[in-house]
Amino acid sequence: MIGRGFPKAPRSYICPSCSRSFKLQSRRHATAASPDVYDVVCVGGGPAGLSLLTALRSSKATSHLRLALIESQDLERARTWNLPPDQFSYRTSSLTPSSLSFLSQIGAWPNVDTSRVQPYRHMRVWDGLSSNSRISFDALTSEPPIASMTENQNLSRALITSLDDLPIISLFDKTSVADIHLGPPLSFPAESPTSLDLSSYPHVTLSSNHTIAARLLVGADGVNSPVRTFAGISTRGWDYDRHGVVATLKLPPGTGHSRENPQRVTAYQRFLPSGPIAFLALPGDYATLVWTTTPPQATRLKALSTEDFVAMVNAAFRLDVVDLNYMFTLDSGQVDELEWRESVHPGNKADLGGETPQHIASVQEGSIASFPLRLRHASTYTTNRVALIGDAAHTIHPLAGQGLNMGLADSRSLASAVEHAVLHGADIGNEIACLDRYNEEMWMSNNRMLGAVDKLHWLYSATSGPVVGLRGLGLRTVDALGPVKGWFMRQAGAL
Amino acid sequence: MVIRPTTSRNLSRLLRIPTQCRSSSQSSSVNAAEVSHFNNLASTWWDPYGSSRLLHQMNPLRHDFISSCIESQPDPTSSTNRRYLDVGCGGGIFAESAARLLWTKSVVGVDPSSQVISVAKAHARQDPLLLEPGRLEYQNKAVEDLPIPRIPEEQFDVVSLFEVIEHINRPAPFLSSCLPFVKPGGWLILSTIARTWTSWLTTNVVAEEVVRLVPRGTHDWSKYINEQELRRFFRAQDGWGRDGGLKSQGCMYMPAVGWRMVPGGEKWGNYFLGVRKDSTRS
Repeated sequence: MIGRGFPKAPRSYICPSCSRSFKLQSRRHATAASPDVYDVVCVGGGPAGLSLLTALRSSKATSHLRLALIESQDLERARTWNLPPDQFSYRTSSLTPSSLSFLSQIGAWPNVDTSRVQPYRHMRVWDGLSSNSRISFDALTSEPPIASMTENQNLSRALITSLDDLPIISLFDKTSVADIHLGPPLSFPAESPTSLDLSSYPHVTLSSNHTIAARLLVGADGVNSPVRTFAGISTRGWDYDRHGVVATLKLPPGTGHSRENPQRVTAYQRFLPSGPIAFLALPGDYATLVWTTTPPQATRLKALSTEDFVAMVNAAFRLDVVDLNYMFTLDSGQVDELEWRESVHPGNKADLGGETPQHIASVQEGSIASFPLRLRHASTYTTNRVALIGDAAHTIHPLAGQGLNMGLADSRSLASAVEHAVLHGADIGNEIACLDRYNEEMWMSNNRMLGAVDKLHWLYSATSGPVVGLRGLGLRTVDALGPVKGWFMRQAGAL
Repeated sequence: MVIRPTTSRNLSRLLRIPTQCRSSSQSSSVNAAEVSHFNNLASTWWDPYGSSRLLHQMNPLRHDFISSCIESQPDPTSSTNRRYLDVGCGGGIFAESAARLLWTKSVVGVDPSSQVISVAKAHARQDPLLLEPGRLEYQNKAVEDLPIPRIPEEQFDVVSLFEVIEHINRPAPFLSSCLPFVKPGGWLILSTIARTWTSWLTTNVVAEEVVRLVPRGTHDWSKYINEQELRRFFRAQDGWGRDGGLKSQGCMYMPAVGWRMVPGGEKWGNYFLGVRKDSTRS
């Protein structure tokens, strides 16, 4: 508990003490070189950055901090994002219960449009080569669900709305980072023994030519993080030579996941040799597709007509790998090909009582996209006055749906380290007094997650030989062993 | 394991009442060799991987202990707008952090080593908040050389002596000269190390010689003071520690974990001790 004597947090966005010292400072350096000093400057207004700022603003201990957000996009577009109920963005994420609890704790979840969110309580995963290996992750109880499918823009809009309701932060949107450098070294001998020394503070020059200084600079600025480059933090990792193909799928009317019957909602994932294909339910007669495959196959998929694309997706959940590979060689005509092959093997036609997802009817226009898959991990998340969160710190293969959840977990951990530091009078940019706590809490656990997901990827890209037989055995074993399945589910659901 | 050393020298020196006049630093409790040792350490005081790393890591516990003392009293009168006097402030690890707290009015840090005071002053310039007039002030002095406060407004809510008394030649007169600076209802808070075989092993042998966490010569085990000895000293002081106003708490550094409060640790290792000056009102 916070001490009883904790004073009421000021509602203004500049803490009185800071503003006083700024006046003092501007008197001393009336000429140019006195930048605005912020407690936290966050570069990047994606879910990780926005949730960090919302967490800092909504906690009593840190609500007085002077915060700035730098974002190259127009945040007004994110704020006013709106789609009709029969359209869904293809950029969706599977939010785990712990992400949901964090979002509730910082007051953002009530601002999410939950009519566009689909929780699921079952998960079926199977191997495309070995028909034995099928694992079903059934939540032990119906509450909480394994995870909730949410459009990223729905979440971003909720986070921005939450921030709008809190005391104001300095927003530099439609603004990019032109340069990051350390403050000038102090002239020696100093003009005054009490002049401010900002030589350890990162100074961010914006595209507007304005410069601001940060007690703590947070890089939430994605895979190619300029903040990480400034901090000289190296990353290791590799490209998977795979692309993720995503799309919003439409199911035959009335076959989808009605809100009246949420218990049956199931996520499906089949491991094909080129990568897993996943079917993730959205509200109503919709679902998200995430298909990891080779770059040539991704190109082929995107070039197909909508009908042939639909046939490929239906084939990928049902047909043997040999049949599927043959269908990839066709420039067109996948619809007829699938119909013929299903008529030859009637077993493939049935939906096996929910063991495979239902046949999809079509694809939402303009919703097919693809992106290259990589693994990256920063060697550390922190240096003096710098912290990395989200994709700037780590990029993960999407097969376990952990990317966004890891970013939210970073935000929660960093916000809590800052809160602990403020309550103990520490400089929040100091490694030993604040940032080490975040790095120690998250680096190792993220590294474990990156490693586990990476090994799953390599395990399932083997097409023949003993590993195929072994993994069939492995998955059956996992399905049979309650405790191990529990561990798997904790990894999937409770990061 | 508690081994009670038999050196009565420490006991007697604790119970001795100071008789010298307090004005000259020659009569101060400060040990010249200690001052020179810390002068040499000054440059590494704020190096996060330097020899003061353990002190940096311990700092949050100091605030936790102070909070637990203040919250334990029936009328936490001094819980906001607190004034701190940090005796033996070194490079300012505690003083800076106390000055940043939202409930702090002002902090005065004093240390007899001129080099560490320069380091402290230079470091405070890195934080605009600490440069606010009156918030944090450093003086290169021994506590005996400070003017004795005459009125409660000149006194302090918290007078702290963190990792100080084990470096002092005659702790009893030193502690006595700190007492007048505490406001009625305020707290004298200190931390030090018990003089047991455990602490001899951990601080002098392991920390300084084996793993070299701490520079050699930082600790003199024979100057360590046990919690019971301090309790006896403060019980003998009139107007101190009434109504549960005398608290202690052990703490311990665990490799790969950090500092943790350890119940009972005050008997054999590092510990905090807080004593409250009785309120004049009751």
